[in-house]
Amino acid sequence: METFELKVADQHGTLAVLEVAGYINNEGGEVIAKEARKLLDAGSRTLLLDLRSTRIINSIGISLLLEVLERTLEVNGLLAFCSLTPSIAKTFQIMGLAQYARIFPDRPSALAELAPAQ
Amino acid sequence: MMATPVRVRLVLPRKPRAELLATRAVEEAGQRIAFPRDTLAEVKLAVVEACLNAFEYGLGEIEVEVVAHPDNAHAWIEVAVVDHGPGFDPAGVARPILEDKLKSRRKRGWGLELIRRLMDEVEITSQPGLTRIRMIRRTGGV
Repeated sequence: METFELKVADQHGTLAVLEVAGYINNEGGEVIAKEARKLLDAGSRTLLLDLRSTRIINSIGISLLLEVLERTLEVNGLLAFCSLTPSIAKTFQIMGLAQYARIFPDRPSALAELAPAQ
Repeated sequence: MMATPVRVRLVLPRKPRAELLATRAVEEAGQRIAFPRDTLAEVKLAVVEACLNAFEYGLGEIEVEVVAHPDNAHAWIEVAVVDHGPGFDPAGVARPILEDKLKSRRKRGWGLELIRRLMDEVEITSQPGLTRIRMIRRTGGV
């Protein structure tokens, strides 16, 4: 039932792409936060979370994504998301997340904008 | 003649990810009345939040009732999540503001806001021993 998986799918300079699959709850959120911390500590400054295979997220997972956002902003980095389901996009819109993070319809459009600057 | 509503009742075990059992009930009931898939996904997110609230603050069993009302033009889904905790005052729950959350150590507190914004109607009744979150989403709503 909604097994969680995280993979660092790609790195272009200081951009890292994380593929997230499954339910982002406390456990999934912790895995993302831990990996994000590791990448930022190693010098990544733009994190792109591809949520193509995530259909459900809860408020505890959201709070952990906010920790990632806070940490990214602290290092003058950028947090971006792509391939959101309509319901997750609506959740992010309710939170006002687009004020602080970039949201792209899919990975190619995200990379077209984020990767050339790397 | 009005078609019969699809009714699902379940009692959630206090186990990690048990809220997903409630989302499965919503999915199945919604599919049986051909409720729009994207709208159903929003109902599921709201139900997850109601269940998490019940797990966190409730005691004993968490009961979930899903009723899917078929209607060609105005199908609707009603979900009630009941717990038996000490209760809370919904009016006393502050609306989260992202800017403040980013500055704060406590980044949680989005659940009720999401429920209210993802559903068309939300009614919370709470007293010691019984808290009930009843929510409705209609096709074409929100």
